[in-house]
Amino acid sequence: MSPTPTADVRDVMDELAGLAPDSRLGQLRRQRPDVVRHLQRSDEAIFTPRNDGGLSAAERVAAALRIAVLLRDDRLQEHYRARAIEHDGAQLAASAADPSSAPREPRWQTILGHVDRLTSDPDSARREHIDALLASGLSPQAVIALSQLVAYVNFQARVRAGLRLLGSQP
Amino acid sequence: MSKPMRDFTRGELEWAPWITPVDADAASEEQRQALKITPSNRAVGAYALVLAHDPASLAERSPLYNGIMFGTRGLPRADRELGAVATSQVNGCAYCASVHAKRFVELSKRPDVIDRLYAEGLQALLDPRHKAVCDFSVKLARDPVAMKEGDLAPLRAQGLTDLEILDLVHAVAMFSWANRLMQSLGEPVPG
Repeated sequence: MSPTPTADVRDVMDELAGLAPDSRLGQLRRQRPDVVRHLQRSDEAIFTPRNDGGLSAAERVAAALRIAVLLRDDRLQEHYRARAIEHDGAQLAASAADPSSAPREPRWQTILGHVDRLTSDPDSARREHIDALLASGLSPQAVIALSQLVAYVNFQARVRAGLRLLGSQP
Repeated sequence: MSKPMRDFTRGELEWAPWITPVDADAASEEQRQALKITPSNRAVGAYALVLAHDPASLAERSPLYNGIMFGTRGLPRADRELGAVATSQVNGCAYCASVHAKRFVELSKRPDVIDRLYAEGLQALLDPRHKAVCDFSVKLARDPVAMKEGDLAPLRAQGLTDLEILDLVHAVAMFSWANRLMQSLGEPVPG
Protein backbone atom coordinates (compact mmCIF):
# COMPACT_ATOMS: atom_id res chain seq x y z
CA MET A 1 0.00 0.00 0.00
CA SER A 2 1.42 3.38 -0.93
CA PRO A 3 1.57 6.12 1.66
CA THR A 4 -1.71 7.68 2.67
CA PRO A 5 -2.10 11.10 1.08
CA THR A 6 -1.85 13.84 3.63
CA ALA A 7 -3.28 17.32 3.57
CA ASP A 8 -0.39 18.78 1.57
CA VAL A 9 0.00 16.00 -1.03
CA ARG A 10 -1.53 16.57 -4.45
CA ASP A 11 -3.61 13.53 -5.40
CA VAL A 12 -5.08 12.33 -8.68
CA MET A 13 -8.37 14.18 -8.22
CA ASP A 14 -6.49 17.44 -7.50
CA GLU A 15 -4.54 16.93 -10.73
CA LEU A 16 -7.69 16.21 -12.74
CA ALA A 17 -9.45 19.27 -11.32
CA GLY A 18 -6.38 21.47 -11.61
CA LEU A 19 -6.24 22.14 -7.87
CA ALA A 20 -3.44 22.83 -5.44
CA PRO A 21 -3.96 21.10 -2.07
CA ASP A 22 -3.87 24.45 -0.25
CA SER A 23 -6.29 26.19 -2.64
CA ARG A 24 -9.87 26.96 -1.62
CA LEU A 25 -11.23 23.86 -3.37
CA GLY A 26 -8.28 21.73 -2.30
CA GLN A 27 -9.10 22.63 1.30
CA LEU A 28 -12.81 22.04 0.68
CA ARG A 29 -12.03 18.50 -0.51
CA ARG A 30 -9.94 17.96 2.61
CA GLN A 31 -12.92 18.64 4.84
CA ARG A 32 -13.76 15.08 3.77
CA PRO A 33 -10.46 13.35 4.59
CA ASP A 34 -11.91 9.82 4.41
CA VAL A 35 -13.19 10.50 0.92
CA VAL A 36 -9.85 11.95 -0.22
CA ARG A 37 -7.88 9.04 1.29
CA HIS A 38 -10.01 6.17 0.00
CA LEU A 39 -10.51 7.77 -3.41
CA GLN A 40 -6.75 7.95 -3.94
CA ARG A 41 -6.28 4.39 -2.70
CA SER A 42 -9.11 3.27 -5.01
CA ASP A 43 -7.17 4.73 -7.92
CA GLU A 44 -4.15 2.67 -6.91
CA ALA A 45 -6.22 -0.49 -6.37
CA ILE A 46 -7.83 -0.09 -9.79
CA PHE A 47 -4.83 0.94 -11.91
CA THR A 48 -1.77 -0.46 -10.12
CA PRO A 49 -2.97 -3.49 -8.15
CA ARG A 50 -0.40 -5.87 -6.71
CA ASN A 51 -2.41 -8.74 -8.17
CA ASP A 52 -4.07 -7.80 -11.47
CA GLY A 53 -6.05 -11.03 -11.92
CA GLY A 54 -5.01 -11.13 -15.56
CA LEU A 55 -6.30 -7.69 -16.60
CA SER A 56 -3.10 -5.87 -17.58
CA ALA A 57 -2.13 -2.32 -16.69
CA ALA A 58 -2.16 -1.37 -20.39
CA GLU A 59 -5.68 -2.79 -20.82
CA ARG A 60 -6.89 -0.94 -17.74
CA VAL A 61 -5.56 2.42 -18.88
CA ALA A 62 -6.83 1.92 -22.44
CA ALA A 63 -10.31 1.07 -21.14
CA ALA A 64 -10.24 4.21 -18.98
CA LEU A 65 -9.25 6.34 -21.96
CA ARG A 66 -12.16 4.90 -23.91
CA ILE A 67 -14.55 6.04 -21.13
CA ALA A 68 -13.07 9.53 -21.13
CA VAL A 69 -13.63 9.67 -24.91
CA LEU A 70 -17.23 8.48 -24.57
CA LEU A 71 -17.86 11.13 -21.91
CA ARG A 72 -16.12 13.79 -24.05
CA ASP A 73 -13.94 14.77 -21.07
CA ASP A 74 -10.77 16.27 -22.55
CA ARG A 75 -8.80 16.53 -19.33
CA LEU A 76 -9.59 12.93 -18.39
CA GLN A 77 -8.48 11.82 -21.88
CA GLU A 78 -5.20 13.67 -21.48
CA HIS A 79 -4.68 12.00 -18.09
CA TYR A 80 -5.18 8.47 -19.41
CA ARG A 81 -3.18 9.09 -22.59
CA ALA A 82 -0.25 10.08 -20.38
CA ARG A 83 -0.72 7.00 -18.21
CA ALA A 84 -0.90 4.79 -21.32
CA ILE A 85 2.57 5.97 -22.30
CA GLU A 86 3.85 5.20 -18.77
CA HIS A 87 2.47 1.67 -19.04
CA ASP A 88 3.80 1.12 -22.53
CA GLY A 89 0.24 0.83 -23.75
CA ALA A 90 0.07 3.71 -26.23
CA GLN A 91 -0.94 1.45 -29.11
CA LEU A 92 -3.76 -0.22 -27.22
CA ALA A 93 -4.89 3.18 -25.93
CA ALA A 94 -4.98 4.61 -29.44
CA SER A 95 -7.18 1.72 -30.50
CA ALA A 96 -9.50 2.30 -27.55
CA ALA A 97 -9.86 5.96 -28.47
CA ASP A 98 -10.64 5.05 -32.08
CA PRO A 99 -12.71 1.86 -32.15
CA SER A 100 -12.33 1.39 -35.90
CA SER A 101 -8.64 0.69 -35.33
CA ALA A 102 -9.15 -1.68 -32.38
CA PRO A 103 -7.51 -5.10 -32.75
CA ARG A 104 -10.11 -7.64 -33.89
CA GLU A 105 -9.05 -9.82 -31.02
CA PRO A 106 -12.22 -11.25 -29.38
CA ARG A 107 -11.08 -10.71 -25.80
CA TRP A 108 -10.36 -7.01 -26.35
CA GLN A 109 -13.55 -6.49 -28.37
CA THR A 110 -15.57 -8.04 -25.55
CA ILE A 111 -13.84 -5.79 -23.00
CA LEU A 112 -14.56 -2.68 -25.09
CA GLY A 113 -18.19 -3.74 -25.50
CA HIS A 114 -18.53 -3.94 -21.71
CA VAL A 115 -16.86 -0.55 -21.27
CA ASP A 116 -19.17 1.12 -23.79
CA ARG A 117 -22.36 -0.46 -22.51
CA LEU A 118 -21.66 0.27 -18.90
CA THR A 119 -20.65 3.87 -19.53
CA SER A 120 -23.39 4.91 -21.96
CA ASP A 121 -26.35 2.64 -21.20
CA PRO A 122 -25.80 0.68 -17.98
CA ASP A 123 -29.41 -0.53 -17.96
CA SER A 124 -28.71 -2.61 -21.06
CA ALA A 125 -26.24 -4.85 -19.18
CA ARG A 126 -27.30 -8.51 -19.20
CA ARG A 127 -26.07 -11.81 -17.84
CA GLU A 128 -24.94 -12.92 -21.29
CA HIS A 129 -22.39 -10.07 -21.34
CA ILE A 130 -20.75 -11.39 -18.16
CA ASP A 131 -20.83 -14.90 -19.62
CA ALA A 132 -19.11 -13.55 -22.77
CA LEU A 133 -16.35 -11.90 -20.72
CA LEU A 134 -15.70 -15.13 -18.83
CA ALA A 135 -15.83 -17.13 -22.08
CA SER A 136 -13.24 -14.82 -23.64
CA GLY A 137 -10.79 -15.84 -20.94
CA LEU A 138 -11.21 -13.19 -18.24
CA SER A 139 -11.03 -14.52 -14.69
CA PRO A 140 -13.85 -13.63 -12.28
CA GLN A 141 -11.37 -11.25 -10.64
CA ALA A 142 -10.67 -9.54 -13.97
CA VAL A 143 -14.40 -9.16 -14.67
CA ILE A 144 -14.94 -7.49 -11.28
CA ALA A 145 -11.84 -5.32 -11.72
CA LEU A 146 -13.10 -4.19 -15.15
CA SER A 147 -16.55 -3.28 -13.82
CA GLN A 148 -14.96 -1.44 -10.87
CA LEU A 149 -12.75 0.44 -13.32
CA VAL A 150 -15.62 1.56 -15.56
CA ALA A 151 -17.62 2.62 -12.51
CA TYR A 152 -14.64 4.46 -11.01
CA VAL A 153 -13.82 6.48 -14.14
CA ASN A 154 -17.49 7.45 -14.40
CA PHE A 155 -17.20 8.60 -10.76
CA GLN A 156 -14.10 10.65 -11.59
CA ALA A 157 -15.85 12.49 -14.41
CA ARG A 158 -18.74 13.50 -12.11
CA VAL A 159 -16.49 14.78 -9.32
CA ARG A 160 -14.35 16.63 -11.82
CA ALA A 161 -17.45 18.35 -13.24
CA GLY A 162 -18.67 19.24 -9.76
CA LEU A 163 -15.33 20.77 -8.80
CA ARG A 164 -15.24 22.69 -12.10
CA LEU A 165 -18.61 24.27 -11.26
CA LEU A 166 -17.58 25.03 -7.67
CA GLY A 167 -14.44 26.67 -9.00
CA SER A 168 -16.42 28.93 -11.30
CA GLN A 169 -18.19 30.78 -8.49
CA PRO A 170 -16.83 32.51 -5.39
CA MET B 1 -36.26 10.61 -19.17
CA SER B 2 -34.87 8.79 -22.17
CA LYS B 3 -36.77 5.62 -21.31
CA PRO B 4 -39.59 4.52 -19.05
CA MET B 5 -38.56 3.58 -15.55
CA ARG B 6 -38.66 -0.08 -14.71
CA ASP B 7 -40.32 -1.32 -11.58
CA PHE B 8 -39.17 1.38 -9.14
CA THR B 9 -41.35 0.26 -6.28
CA ARG B 10 -40.65 1.07 -2.68
CA GLY B 11 -41.22 -2.59 -1.94
CA GLU B 12 -38.43 -4.95 -1.11
CA LEU B 13 -36.10 -6.04 -3.87
CA GLU B 14 -33.22 -8.46 -3.58
CA TRP B 15 -30.17 -8.62 -5.83
CA ALA B 16 -29.10 -11.82 -7.55
CA PRO B 17 -25.53 -12.03 -8.90
CA TRP B 18 -24.60 -13.22 -12.41
CA ILE B 19 -21.16 -14.32 -11.31
CA THR B 20 -20.53 -16.92 -8.63
CA PRO B 21 -19.75 -15.11 -5.35
CA VAL B 22 -16.61 -15.89 -3.40
CA ASP B 23 -17.26 -18.71 -0.95
CA ALA B 24 -16.97 -16.96 2.43
CA ASP B 25 -15.57 -20.10 4.04
CA ALA B 26 -12.86 -20.43 1.39
CA ALA B 27 -11.98 -16.70 1.19
CA SER B 28 -8.32 -15.66 1.26
CA GLU B 29 -6.98 -13.49 4.08
CA GLU B 30 -7.06 -10.43 1.77
CA GLN B 31 -10.66 -11.16 0.80
CA ARG B 32 -11.70 -11.57 4.44
CA GLN B 33 -10.11 -8.25 5.33
CA ALA B 34 -11.77 -6.49 2.41
CA LEU B 35 -15.15 -7.88 3.48
CA LYS B 36 -14.89 -6.49 7.01
CA ILE B 37 -16.23 -3.04 6.19
CA THR B 38 -19.31 -3.08 4.01
CA PRO B 39 -22.20 -0.69 3.36
CA SER B 40 -25.17 -2.04 5.25
CA ASN B 41 -28.05 -3.21 3.15
CA ARG B 42 -29.99 -6.40 2.59
CA ALA B 43 -28.00 -7.51 -0.44
CA VAL B 44 -24.63 -6.87 1.11
CA GLY B 45 -23.94 -10.57 1.38
CA ALA B 46 -24.05 -11.58 -2.27
CA TYR B 47 -22.91 -8.20 -3.58
CA ALA B 48 -19.86 -7.91 -1.32
CA LEU B 49 -18.94 -11.55 -1.94
CA VAL B 50 -19.01 -10.94 -5.71
CA LEU B 51 -16.86 -7.82 -5.35
CA ALA B 52 -14.47 -9.80 -3.13
CA HIS B 53 -13.12 -11.52 -6.27
CA ASP B 54 -11.06 -8.31 -6.54
CA PRO B 55 -10.38 -7.61 -2.86
CA ALA B 56 -8.11 -4.57 -3.29
CA SER B 57 -10.80 -2.45 -4.97
CA LEU B 58 -13.49 -3.62 -2.53
CA ALA B 59 -11.30 -2.75 0.47
CA GLU B 60 -11.23 0.93 -0.60
CA ARG B 61 -14.70 1.23 -2.09
CA SER B 62 -16.56 0.34 1.11
CA PRO B 63 -14.99 3.04 3.34
CA LEU B 64 -15.25 5.52 0.44
CA TYR B 65 -18.97 4.80 0.22
CA ASN B 66 -19.40 5.19 3.97
CA GLY B 67 -17.49 8.49 4.01
CA ILE B 68 -19.68 9.88 1.23
CA MET B 69 -23.08 8.70 2.43
CA PHE B 70 -22.59 8.83 6.23
CA GLY B 71 -19.92 11.54 6.79
CA THR B 72 -20.84 13.94 9.59
CA ARG B 73 -21.86 17.61 9.05
CA GLY B 74 -22.45 18.99 5.58
CA LEU B 75 -25.40 17.96 3.45
CA PRO B 76 -28.24 16.30 5.41
CA ARG B 77 -28.24 12.57 4.81
CA ALA B 78 -31.75 12.66 3.35
CA ASP B 79 -30.50 14.92 0.55
CA ARG B 80 -27.60 12.56 -0.19
CA GLU B 81 -30.12 9.72 -0.43
CA LEU B 82 -32.30 11.79 -2.77
CA GLY B 83 -29.25 12.36 -4.98
CA ALA B 84 -28.71 8.59 -4.95
CA VAL B 85 -32.33 7.95 -5.96
CA ALA B 86 -32.22 10.50 -8.80
CA THR B 87 -28.94 9.08 -10.12
CA SER B 88 -30.30 5.53 -9.91
CA GLN B 89 -33.37 6.58 -11.88
CA VAL B 90 -31.23 8.16 -14.61
CA ASN B 91 -29.24 4.94 -14.90
CA GLY B 92 -32.28 2.70 -14.56
CA CYS B 93 -30.94 0.87 -11.49
CA ALA B 94 -34.15 -0.43 -9.92
CA TYR B 95 -32.37 -2.09 -7.04
CA CYS B 96 -30.45 1.02 -5.86
CA ALA B 97 -33.47 3.28 -6.42
CA SER B 98 -35.62 1.02 -4.27
CA VAL B 99 -33.13 0.76 -1.38
CA HIS B 100 -32.30 4.46 -1.31
CA ALA B 101 -35.87 5.69 -1.75
CA LYS B 102 -36.62 3.74 1.39
CA ARG B 103 -33.67 5.35 3.21
CA PHE B 104 -34.76 8.80 2.03
CA VAL B 105 -38.26 8.25 3.43
CA GLU B 106 -36.89 6.94 6.75
CA LEU B 107 -34.70 10.03 7.13
CA SER B 108 -37.05 12.69 5.75
CA LYS B 109 -40.49 11.27 6.66
CA ARG B 110 -41.56 12.45 3.20
CA PRO B 111 -42.97 9.46 1.30
CA ASP B 112 -44.90 11.91 -0.88
CA VAL B 113 -41.67 13.05 -2.55
CA ILE B 114 -40.90 9.51 -3.70
CA ASP B 115 -44.53 8.85 -4.67
CA ARG B 116 -44.42 11.88 -6.99
CA LEU B 117 -41.07 10.92 -8.42
CA TYR B 118 -42.43 7.49 -9.32
CA ALA B 119 -45.80 8.74 -10.54
CA GLU B 120 -44.60 11.69 -12.59
CA GLY B 121 -40.93 11.00 -13.19
CA LEU B 122 -37.99 13.24 -12.55
CA GLN B 123 -39.80 16.28 -13.93
CA ALA B 124 -42.25 16.05 -11.03
CA LEU B 125 -42.82 19.41 -9.41
CA LEU B 126 -41.19 18.97 -6.01
CA ASP B 127 -40.72 21.62 -3.39
CA PRO B 128 -37.86 23.94 -4.35
CA ARG B 129 -35.15 22.26 -2.29
CA HIS B 130 -35.97 18.74 -3.41
CA LYS B 131 -36.34 19.96 -6.98
CA ALA B 132 -32.95 21.69 -6.87
CA VAL B 133 -31.26 18.56 -5.46
CA CYS B 134 -32.97 16.27 -8.00
CA ASP B 135 -32.37 18.47 -11.03
CA PHE B 136 -28.70 18.91 -10.27
CA SER B 137 -28.26 15.18 -9.61
CA VAL B 138 -29.97 14.22 -12.86
CA LYS B 139 -27.79 16.54 -14.94
CA LEU B 140 -24.58 15.42 -13.27
CA ALA B 141 -25.48 11.74 -13.54
CA ARG B 142 -26.47 12.06 -17.18
CA ASP B 143 -23.76 14.20 -18.78
CA PRO B 144 -21.12 15.76 -16.51
CA VAL B 145 -19.24 17.55 -19.29
CA ALA B 146 -22.41 19.39 -20.38
CA MET B 147 -22.85 21.05 -16.97
CA LYS B 148 -22.58 24.82 -16.77
CA GLU B 149 -21.92 27.33 -13.99
CA GLY B 150 -25.60 28.24 -13.92
CA ASP B 151 -26.54 24.69 -12.92
CA LEU B 152 -25.37 25.51 -9.39
CA ALA B 153 -27.68 28.51 -9.04
CA PRO B 154 -30.76 26.59 -7.79
CA LEU B 155 -28.66 24.90 -5.09
CA ARG B 156 -27.15 28.23 -4.04
CA ALA B 157 -30.63 29.76 -3.97
CA GLN B 158 -31.61 27.07 -1.46
CA GLY B 159 -28.67 28.12 0.71
CA LEU B 160 -26.42 25.11 0.09
CA THR B 161 -22.80 25.75 1.10
CA ASP B 162 -19.80 24.63 -0.94
CA LEU B 163 -19.33 21.63 1.37
CA GLU B 164 -22.97 20.65 0.99
CA ILE B 165 -22.71 20.90 -2.79
CA LEU B 166 -19.52 18.82 -2.76
CA ASP B 167 -21.35 16.23 -0.65
CA LEU B 168 -24.11 16.05 -3.26
CA VAL B 169 -21.54 15.77 -6.06
CA HIS B 170 -19.89 12.90 -4.20
CA ALA B 171 -23.25 11.15 -3.67
CA VAL B 172 -24.13 11.39 -7.38
CA ALA B 173 -20.64 10.20 -8.34
CA MET B 174 -20.84 7.31 -5.84
CA PHE B 175 -24.10 6.12 -7.37
CA SER B 176 -22.73 6.60 -10.88
CA TRP B 177 -20.28 4.00 -9.57
CA ALA B 178 -22.61 1.77 -7.51
CA ASN B 179 -25.34 1.58 -10.15
CA ARG B 180 -22.85 0.34 -12.76
CA LEU B 181 -21.65 -2.46 -10.49
CA MET B 182 -25.15 -3.51 -9.50
CA GLN B 183 -26.37 -3.36 -13.11
CA SER B 184 -23.47 -5.20 -14.71
CA LEU B 185 -22.92 -7.95 -12.14
CA GLY B 186 -26.47 -9.04 -11.33
CA GLU B 187 -30.13 -8.11 -11.36
CA PRO B 188 -32.96 -7.13 -9.00
CA VAL B 189 -35.39 -9.87 -8.08
CA PRO B 190 -38.52 -9.74 -5.90
CA GLY B 191 -37.61 -10.14 -2.23
